[in-house]
Amino acid sequence: MTAAPLASRLAGRAWIAVAIVSGIGIVAFAWPLFAPAGSMAVAHADVAPWLFALLMPLLLAVALAAAADGSDGALDAKAVAIIGVLAAVACALRPLGGGTAGLEPIWIILILGGRVLGPGCGFLLGAIALFASGLLTGGVGPWLPYQMLGAAWVAMGAGLLPRLTGRAEIGMLACYGAVASLGYGLLLNLWFWPLATALPSAIAYQPGAEPLVNTLAWLRFTLLTSLGYDIPRAVLTTILILIAGKPILAALRRAARRASFGSVGTFQGSRQTPAHQPVAAESVGRHDADDDLMRVTT
Amino acid sequence: MSWAADAGSRPIIRFEDVTITYPQAATPVLAGLDLQIPEGELVLVVGRTGSGKSTLLRSINGLVPHFTGGTLTGRVLVDGRDTAAHPPRELADVVGVVLQDPGSGFVADTVEEELAYGMECLGIPPEVMRRRVEETLDLLGLSEIRSRPLLTLSAGQRQRVAIGAALTPHPSILVLDEPTSALDPGAAEEVLAALQRLVHDLSVTVVLAEHRLERVVQYADRIVIVPGDGQPVRSGTPSQVMAQTPIAPPVVELGRLVGWQPLPLSVRDARRAAIGLRDLLVGHAPPVRTSAAPGTGTRAAAPAIRTDRLTVLFGATMALADVSLEAAPGQIIALMGRNGAGKSTLLASLVGLGQRGRGSVQSGNVRIDGRDPALLRGPGLLATVGLVPCDPADLLEHGTIAEECRAGDRDGHLDPGTTRAVLALLAPELTDGMHPRDLSEGQRLLLALALVLAARPPVLLLDEPTRGLDYPTKARLVDLVRDLAAAGHCVVLATHDVELVAEVATRVIVLADGEVVADGPTADVVVASPMLAPQVAKVLAPHPWLTVSDVTASIGSLLLRTHAPTSGEEIP
Amino acid sequence: MSHGRRARWLHPGAWWAWALGLAAAASQTTNPLLLALIIAVAATVVVSRRPQAPWARSFGFFLRLGLLIIAIRLIVQVAFSASVGTTVILDLPGVALPDWMAGVRIGGQVTIESLLIALYDGLRLAAILAAFGAANSLASPARLLKSVPAALYEVGVSVVLAMTFTPALVTDLGRVQQARYLRGRASTGPRAVAGAAMPVLEGALERSVALAAAMDARGYGRRGTASPRRARTAAGLLLAGLVACAIGTYGLVSADAPGVLGLPMVGFGVTAAIASLAWSGRTTARTRYRPDPWGRPEWGVLGCGIAVAFAFAAAARISPDSMHTAVDPPAWPALGLLPSIGLLLALGPGLLAPPIPGSATAVPRIGRR
Repeated sequence: MTAAPLASRLAGRAWIAVAIVSGIGIVAFAWPLFAPAGSMAVAHADVAPWLFALLMPLLLAVALAAAADGSDGALDAKAVAIIGVLAAVACALRPLGGGTAGLEPIWIILILGGRVLGPGCGFLLGAIALFASGLLTGGVGPWLPYQMLGAAWVAMGAGLLPRLTGRAEIGMLACYGAVASLGYGLLLNLWFWPLATALPSAIAYQPGAEPLVNTLAWLRFTLLTSLGYDIPRAVLTTILILIAGKPILAALRRAARRASFGSVGTFQGSRQTPAHQPVAAESVGRHDADDDLMRVTT
Repeated sequence: MSWAADAGSRPIIRFEDVTITYPQAATPVLAGLDLQIPEGELVLVVGRTGSGKSTLLRSINGLVPHFTGGTLTGRVLVDGRDTAAHPPRELADVVGVVLQDPGSGFVADTVEEELAYGMECLGIPPEVMRRRVEETLDLLGLSEIRSRPLLTLSAGQRQRVAIGAALTPHPSILVLDEPTSALDPGAAEEVLAALQRLVHDLSVTVVLAEHRLERVVQYADRIVIVPGDGQPVRSGTPSQVMAQTPIAPPVVELGRLVGWQPLPLSVRDARRAAIGLRDLLVGHAPPVRTSAAPGTGTRAAAPAIRTDRLTVLFGATMALADVSLEAAPGQIIALMGRNGAGKSTLLASLVGLGQRGRGSVQSGNVRIDGRDPALLRGPGLLATVGLVPCDPADLLEHGTIAEECRAGDRDGHLDPGTTRAVLALLAPELTDGMHPRDLSEGQRLLLALALVLAARPPVLLLDEPTRGLDYPTKARLVDLVRDLAAAGHCVVLATHDVELVAEVATRVIVLADGEVVADGPTADVVVASPMLAPQVAKVLAPHPWLTVSDVTASIGSLLLRTHAPTSGEEIP
Repeated sequence: MSHGRRARWLHPGAWWAWALGLAAAASQTTNPLLLALIIAVAATVVVSRRPQAPWARSFGFFLRLGLLIIAIRLIVQVAFSASVGTTVILDLPGVALPDWMAGVRIGGQVTIESLLIALYDGLRLAAILAAFGAANSLASPARLLKSVPAALYEVGVSVVLAMTFTPALVTDLGRVQQARYLRGRASTGPRAVAGAAMPVLEGALERSVALAAAMDARGYGRRGTASPRRARTAAGLLLAGLVACAIGTYGLVSADAPGVLGLPMVGFGVTAAIASLAWSGRTTARTRYRPDPWGRPEWGVLGCGIAVAFAFAAAARISPDSMHTAVDPPAWPALGLLPSIGLLLALGPGLLAPPIPGSATAVPRIGRR
């Protein structure tokens, strides 16, 4: 059994879009940590989170559109269907963890799904799962774009991890699960942290202060507020991956094999397409040149 | 052998020396296929599970090999387009496809949107879309449910929506894989009537695969037989093919037995041909069908199943109303009635699940072998009553057959190896390392049956056991059910399959709206019913013969042959 | 229909635009009276135009979330008392956290001024949430997905699939749990859910393969009629927009970047990105079945949203005092003319939006008389 990603890959252009949007996303999350006193974001620290919350959905839309652009063959029917179904599984799992000390079992689906589908489809899976779940529960708020981006990174990261097999892979994914779900919690504290005014200075955002000061304050803030929520989540994710990782990965890979992801239908011995069909002839060339979807041998 | 296209109608589908090999397969699934399908015909594709029937259907629009992978040599031309150059999406305007289990192919969330989906992909203008959706809603009788969410539809409605969704882009070819397997007889007839209307009125070419020949043969213009195992695909007109094929619907078997020429394919034709036969039958009685003799054990005294004023409510709707039944060991009971009549609810109550459904309230008594199943758990339940649900895969949750069987032994506190031994009897071809999810529908059923039978429950319940089964597997199931009954098990089948009921049941219970509307020996209940009567009964009515083998047994084929309208031909 | 107008669904985009305007207005003020009025406006419109659907109940959820945030805000204020104001109403014993927590103290004196700050601050978040809750309750998610731009088609399809599959999965889970019972295993409790999860997942994955085949066969992903030039233009616009956004974002968070590199650059980038989406959307050959129209009511609702945001922004410029109620010493909140007009306009959708069709999703249409 191979550990290679089985879904289609993103085109170069899509990767550039995902990279730029991720870069802007990092700034949107992390500006309170490093933005200097004279910057506009710091001058309007109470508005900046909202501005980014408006900007992020647009940029996410652009990144998703670029990643899913059919003309690059990135999101064919197989990929759309499996992403949709995995996102549904994640949505169905989400209410299970609702409110109970952060036990969110959806992370195992996002991480293992990202692992099997590869980084590109993983990015889409993370974003789409959180979006669909937001729509289903009527929970579309300013937090949603941040959640989508965070989850997209988590699933994409799982696809970027080195190729290992067997126990080593499960162990690696379990560790990644712990790190990723803790990191997700830390990150999601950042976007509204500047809005939480009137905290004691040691845990409050101090507009324009040294990066180190704010970073420490943010870590203390997390420690005091959400860590009690994040640690159980990380533990649950790790345990779930250790217990159920192997069968779920096997099921996902079997499905990918069954759908023959990335397989090539071959035609042999078929005579040349009749000359009076220019459309057909042209499309043969397109396939060969553009997406190498099939090899037509004559 | 293949046939030439009729003069005047051009072949719309051409297979030219087509051989298809799947990746990692040693031998091709289809080899050297030459086939031409003329425009405007209804073509029936017949073959057992795994014979390459679905492969043939899926290669018409290029799903094989574009979607599935594999190698196709030769070429497939559809309306002049070579599938090598046209992936399925580029053929969507010519070929409409309805795959098995239509519900899993739905993309949208309401009926109307689903009907429009294919047209949206093809870029059909909004006004045209609107008009065609309305037309299709009327054509298939879907206008009542146009804005319903797809999840809430019944099986028959889902099938019709899937057909409608394939039709709206106005394809010239419609391909259907087992369109009636999940439907009750009434719904199946509606669907087939709609298909026939398409062929006759709109000149659509319909290619469909179906195991239940008795439902379809009469509508077909051509039959293609895919024998599998590398043997060549054969085809011909229905009467040509039906004269030779080993698998035939009862009406054809009867015709072959008696030697009718031309061979009747529909009940109507057969009834006309059977005037003499019916006269001959006057004064004879069909063989008496009795349940197996009650066993000599102590169990024989108590009824295997007894329900007393059993009522189940789902919210305000009454799923079962005052059902009082008794069944003896050795009986084979068929539970019939349309979809939603309460068959599955009754089965659920019989295994003690009556109270466990969401919002369901059960009153009245249920006794299986003298015990209340709702109070039983674990091994005790398994040793009392077993249910194979209509999707047997629900029961399977392990990675290999061996693990599944070991888990079965553990669940039932059985001696290790018991379940595996039962499975070896039922399906000797299955090996330990196979993944249960890779099995065919029939193999899954046999595996689920083995899991249930291992604990030797005196009462065995089967929900829609023949859905998607081919003839050989169905024959195996029939033998198995008879053996179980002979061994003193009480078997209850909830089914739409009237031929299966005619073949195997000793008693029929008909449910409607949760009430028992008929209960009695098979012949008494089904012969008079237009929906439930098997073909032989319809042909020979008012005589109560149900199956060809009954006719053979009571009169003997020699006698029949001398009275046949045309005789002298040796019947195989 | 009470208004004598044809019942139809308002375009979900219009509801979102109006709600975002309301949220933007709320973000401009800490005046408790105005914030309370914003919540009241949202509630009024929701009550008058909310359909009968599960998602339409989320307004209540958002209101409760708002209350929770106010409560948390007050608790945080009490726990980490900051030295605002002099009117002490509570003196809690203080506990100092260890050194590495940089001397954070828990407990101490609680002043009425600090509580008011917390209350107003929490109220502002609650008002913003109420606006979002109104959008969640008024705009049907299914219709929202129908009107995603064509460039986001593939993403939209997977979201639709996810949303329609989720209830099916819950049904599957129930069925598989019953099947576990049939094998004599526990069918309730966490272990049973875990045991049932694998068959459900396997079934769902199997269905995804069938679904993909069906989609492919029905024309999903057909090549559009796009000329390569058009596609290149879209790609170029997209790249330019993203780069501009990146530069603009850098401008926002950097001290020494010239002002033009901030918001204007972001604005340019966003415009280019939207243009690219629109442009690449036009390359598709797909059409839409019964799209939601964008007519006069939609413009009206959109205008109401813009008006209220604009009125509050202007008021914040002209008379900042009326928009930020003083707490030290505490003052009565003022009700300025400009915000009042804005709030009245924000009530507009309650009248402008057409009446909703009578629970069209649940009841089949009955023949006209």
